[in-house]
Amino acid sequence: MESAKPLIELVDLLAIAPMLAIFVLSLFPLMIKVFRGNRELNPYVTLFFALIGIGLATALTATLSGAKPRAYFNDAIVFDGFVPWASYLIYLVTAASLMMSIDHVTTRGRQFSEHVFLMMNSSVGMLVLVMANDLIVTFIGIEMMSLCLYILCAMSHEDTLSKEAAFKYFVLGSFASAIFLYGIALIYGTAGSTYLPDITQAIGPLLTTSRLFVVGLGLLILGFAFKVSIFPLHAWTPDVYHGAPTPVTAFMATAVKASTFIAFLRLFNSEGFLDADRFFTVLQWLAVLTMLVGNAAALFQDNLKRMLAYSSIAHSGYIMVGLIAGAFGDNYDAGATSVMFYLLSYTLMTLGTFALVAMLEKHENTVVSMSSIQGLARKYPVMALSLAILMLSLAGIPPTLGFFGKLFVFSAAIEQDMYWLVFWGVINSIISVYYYLYPVVKMYMSDEEPAEVMGNHMLTRFIVAATAILVVVMGIFSSPVLKAVQRSVVNLF
Amino acid sequence: MLLSLITFLPLVFALLLLVIPSSQKCFIRWSALVFTIIEFGLSLFMLSKFEKGTAALQFVERIPWVPELGITYFLGIDGISLWLVILTTFLTPVIVAGSWSAINTKVKGFHISLLILETAMLGSFLAMDAILFYVFFELSLVPMYFMVGIWGGANRIYATIKFFIFTMVGSLMMLLAIIYLMYATHDTMGTFSASVLDFYELKIPFVAGDFMNPQTLLFFAFSLAFAIKVPMFPLHTWLPDAHVEAPTPGSVILAGVMLKMGTYGFMRFVIPLFPEAAEYWAWLFLFLGTIGIIYGALVAMVQPDIKKLVAYSSVSHMGYVMIGLFALNMFGVTGALYQMLNHGISTGALFLLVGMIYERTHSREISQYGGLAKAMPIYSILFIIVTMSSIAVPMTNGFIGEFLILLGTWQANKIFGALAVTGVVLGAAYMLWMVKRVFFGPAGPLVKDTHHPLHDVTLREMLVMAPLVVLIFWMGLFPNHFLDWSKPSIDHLVKTRDSYNLTETK
Repeated sequence: MESAKPLIELVDLLAIAPMLAIFVLSLFPLMIKVFRGNRELNPYVTLFFALIGIGLATALTATLSGAKPRAYFNDAIVFDGFVPWASYLIYLVTAASLMMSIDHVTTRGRQFSEHVFLMMNSSVGMLVLVMANDLIVTFIGIEMMSLCLYILCAMSHEDTLSKEAAFKYFVLGSFASAIFLYGIALIYGTAGSTYLPDITQAIGPLLTTSRLFVVGLGLLILGFAFKVSIFPLHAWTPDVYHGAPTPVTAFMATAVKASTFIAFLRLFNSEGFLDADRFFTVLQWLAVLTMLVGNAAALFQDNLKRMLAYSSIAHSGYIMVGLIAGAFGDNYDAGATSVMFYLLSYTLMTLGTFALVAMLEKHENTVVSMSSIQGLARKYPVMALSLAILMLSLAGIPPTLGFFGKLFVFSAAIEQDMYWLVFWGVINSIISVYYYLYPVVKMYMSDEEPAEVMGNHMLTRFIVAATAILVVVMGIFSSPVLKAVQRSVVNLF
Repeated sequence: MLLSLITFLPLVFALLLLVIPSSQKCFIRWSALVFTIIEFGLSLFMLSKFEKGTAALQFVERIPWVPELGITYFLGIDGISLWLVILTTFLTPVIVAGSWSAINTKVKGFHISLLILETAMLGSFLAMDAILFYVFFELSLVPMYFMVGIWGGANRIYATIKFFIFTMVGSLMMLLAIIYLMYATHDTMGTFSASVLDFYELKIPFVAGDFMNPQTLLFFAFSLAFAIKVPMFPLHTWLPDAHVEAPTPGSVILAGVMLKMGTYGFMRFVIPLFPEAAEYWAWLFLFLGTIGIIYGALVAMVQPDIKKLVAYSSVSHMGYVMIGLFALNMFGVTGALYQMLNHGISTGALFLLVGMIYERTHSREISQYGGLAKAMPIYSILFIIVTMSSIAVPMTNGFIGEFLILLGTWQANKIFGALAVTGVVLGAAYMLWMVKRVFFGPAGPLVKDTHHPLHDVTLREMLVMAPLVVLIFWMGLFPNHFLDWSKPSIDHLVKTRDSYNLTETK
């Protein structure tokens, strides 16, 4: 027994310093509110605290990211190449969603400090998830992230859909958590460990010998699949994305996906999958069906939020293509790189589009439909152009970031000779062009008078414009971005 | 730097237009005209520096773009792309001048789209990196999509989305093929490369008669993208819709330049990259090209709408270009390249003329006209000259192109050669019949309408048409003034097709 070693060392606390920073700063507004007799602070002060926390966390992550990858807390969490990349994405999304929240009618009300607290702690959960090196920690991360989200979904006061969304999300999410937990149990039973490196080691031999292990792994994947809305566990997505307050939707659609896919990538970093043909077949078809279901359903949506929800399902499918190429091919790095690049591009595009939707919602219970954006170009040329750029990027038109995301994902799959998968990816890209062009048609090509007036939301406007600019600039200069991703993938634990 | 300057100058001009207030319509038009003329002058300067006697790439620029995948910013020009670049820079000022009164709403947006489109088109002709080519090729869709969608006719949304999706279908397949070739260069050379020059060095396995082999599949992936763009029968259905709905300048640029991006793709990528497959499957393209010629002509004959008639004549004319290319001999390919330029000029001119009469009467119904020659004599003369070019009467440019193509096709395959000749007859039939109904005979309802007397072409319209008419005769009488520049490149393409490569001049 090496009992001399203390349970927690100082370096361990240093590794989770970014989380602590966010957590502590998220407490400030809430505590002040309590001491002021439950009177809400000026929302901008609350936002200021939150942004300080995120800024602090960014600085801490930046200082930590130089070190060699190693494990902390008795190997329960790791800090390696994935972590800074995913953390920055999470910080970006959290900051942007909070800025949207302060402008948005459903979230800026009398519970803004609670809203900020929940959103920031959801992102702490995501950080745990990204760093987890043990399935139990992964589970804790997922739960922490999700529990905050369940409440956030319900935060709209008047909107009944919000309550429905929260309830649906909660019930189905708990179900998925149970599945995930059951998977962990079966894996622990067969592999004898919940430690991730042990499991990825064991995948090779156990996949062929132990049927229980296969079931356990399958359940684990299903648990993840629910969070990133992969077919057949995607059905909650449109309802929840639609019902939740739009800033929360933006947060869910981007940060949850980014962090869960990183956890997914960790699980799949195993040579054991190399000849797991059956797993490959199943996952391949899940990816294809995810893309098809998402794109086909998005074609028929009139509600912009629902359309974006289906589009986000489809994008999960594209990301799966890169994931499968990494896991089942002999070049894990190329697959992981393409996934991480795609996550960045997807995050920026989705954040921008939801931010624009948020601006069109003037009161709770607003439904932003295609007719809400007709003639937008005449009244708000900058916003319309930004949305057009984001839509074209989502459709993968060069030279935007979305094009390069698809290029890297497809090329990772072609490297592994997965032509069938890529073929479906292309077919789906073509289908998706139709519904991504439709908002552009409505904004630029309809003769009717502009239907909606946007609120004067400076911060949200800034997000829309900034994401549109980033999507173009990072697309044209995609090489430095790609290089950064490649460096971080090489630097794995 | 010269080619980059040519490519991106229109984009810079577009940004300059952005700062002009939208209400200054006249100022925007004049500045756009000046800008595009400067651009044309720059391309002529490039022409004067172009070295005639070589097939090598000139003015090469190469900067790494995404070195991780071997993607470079790689521009170069040779005899194949030279005239297409000049055609683009030449047609753009003509279009600006031609849209003076046709485009009256959102003038600023229109000219910005036009200039961005010019950059995208020039980029596609100059890019020597496959991914860079793809980027420009796709980028050109976006301004065209806006042009048809915003300034188009009643059914414009349907037309523009159809145009966009049709083109996307092909080009995404091409993207996969490009990625495959990038990995192929990785396997043979050890490093990734998306340079077309490196692609030429690849030996891609080919099995005759079998479909599932790399070269055949790649060949069809590329061909699909370009055949949709050309458009080749039976993938042409987007074209009449797009043309009819597009505003006059949109039609001119679509027919004049964008269709050439497809045939250019065949010359630059398909034939030299996949020589065995191109030779084996040449019959298919000769067959579809010939059907396109005859089908296009027959459908054009029954159109009640002048613009639709011209649109279908495009299908027929591009069929000639296709069979010329797939004759795979000197005459055929030379004729195809020449016919690409001819079609750009004569069909562009036809669309401009149709636009002029449409502005006066707001009708394109052939049956509404008749006896126009009396009412608008100068217009009629111009129209008939352009018609002569379009039906390939000797001394006009069309004759040289079609004659070379038919000669080449006859050498390659007597049956298709003979069938293609019937297309010439049909072409003369539908055009002349249309001319007869519109310009001669008793005056139609729109022509004799005394409340709205038709006035003949204005000075501006004459100035728009003048360079086109001059070129029609110049190219018809002195083809060598143009073909000499391209001859080494075409020679090189035809003779060394099986081991094609391109060098760069220092």
